[in-house]
Amino acid sequence: MNLLVLNLLLALAWMGFNADFSLGGFAAGFVLGHGVLWLGRPLYPNQRYFRLLWGSLGYFLWLLKEIVLSSLKVTASVLGFGAKVQPAVIAIPLDARTDLEITLLACSITLTPGTLTLDVSPDRKHLYIHAMFGGDAAALCAETKDSMERRILEVLR
Amino acid sequence: MLDQIAQAIVGILAVAGSFFCLVAALGVVRLPDALTRMHASSKAGTLGCGLVLLAVALFFPGLDVVARVVAAILFLLLTTPVAAHMIGRAAYASGESPAAGTVRDDLAKGPDNPRRRLLEKAGRR
Amino acid sequence: MSPAITPFLSWCLTIAMVLLFAAFALTIVRVLRGPTTADRIIAIDLFGVLAVAFIALYTLYVQQVVFLDAAIALALVAFFGTVAYARFLERRVVDRPEEREAAQKEKEEPHA
Repeated sequence: MNLLVLNLLLALAWMGFNADFSLGGFAAGFVLGHGVLWLGRPLYPNQRYFRLLWGSLGYFLWLLKEIVLSSLKVTASVLGFGAKVQPAVIAIPLDARTDLEITLLACSITLTPGTLTLDVSPDRKHLYIHAMFGGDAAALCAETKDSMERRILEVLR
Repeated sequence: MLDQIAQAIVGILAVAGSFFCLVAALGVVRLPDALTRMHASSKAGTLGCGLVLLAVALFFPGLDVVARVVAAILFLLLTTPVAAHMIGRAAYASGESPAAGTVRDDLAKGPDNPRRRLLEKAGRR
Repeated sequence: MSPAITPFLSWCLTIAMVLLFAAFALTIVRVLRGPTTADRIIAIDLFGVLAVAFIALYTLYVQQVVFLDAAIALALVAFFGTVAYARFLERRVVDRPEEREAAQKEKEEPHA
């Protein structure tokens, strides 16, 4: 995470040199500083900064796409011409272990329409979700684990 | 000309956002039980609100507005899941949901049932 | 501050206002009809989100950016309110289980 501080300092320096303390100046400085640090990658062995930053950006974009797509699905079903509503409470076994991973997964599940995190079991082995289209529980469980949890773990580990 | 195109996009975004807000309200009225209603309210509502905020960011020139809108949208995305999780667990624990028509309930019999855990913690029964 | 708005945009804003007011009305219907406390909490939570959207729309309507800050503040307060309501609902289960049990039974078996 030291690289993040370095990147912010570079952005600050850029703002200072240009006497431009605005959001645009900060963004330009941050991007430029990021480019400089990226060129100097061999200097920092074992760093996770770049993968973390780019990974979280990619994950965020993927999540936005997912939110819009499945919102349309719920909309269709509310208006009466979509899939039939079959509510179900499903237990999903967790691979995520740390607080951050579980929280992120739970929030992502809630944000994508059609699924909603209800509870985490006390031993942290399972996540209980409420699904709006829970006709095929096994498929839903596999899909959540496969797309969402895999992506989160890829970024964070 | 460019202004007109930008304003057309703003208008379309505003109408789309309000439409999703309406769908959220419609879902809260039409869907069968509390937990399914929450699906409509928390997600379609957030998407609608986000779209309207995006329209505001596009309409006003200047980065300060954009920064405020981005902050507002991020804030919505952070708080909605937490609120939904709290209501969901409370609704389940209060024993009012899920309603008839639920095809499967992994929480009902297991030891993790939030209602049972709450009652055990309180030392009743 | 900003360019004069085109007729198309002003039409769009009017339509959006009408849609939002319809949404407000539907939400109030759910708050009044219940039937359970959880339903009412959900409706009130949605009401808060709708209010944020309304203020954002109003910002466009009167072309005053200042109102945007009100929207951000409202989003914060509505969130805390919802969390408090949810805590209240969970606490009530612990405090008065017998009463909830009775209400549940009555709902399942209406008076014979």
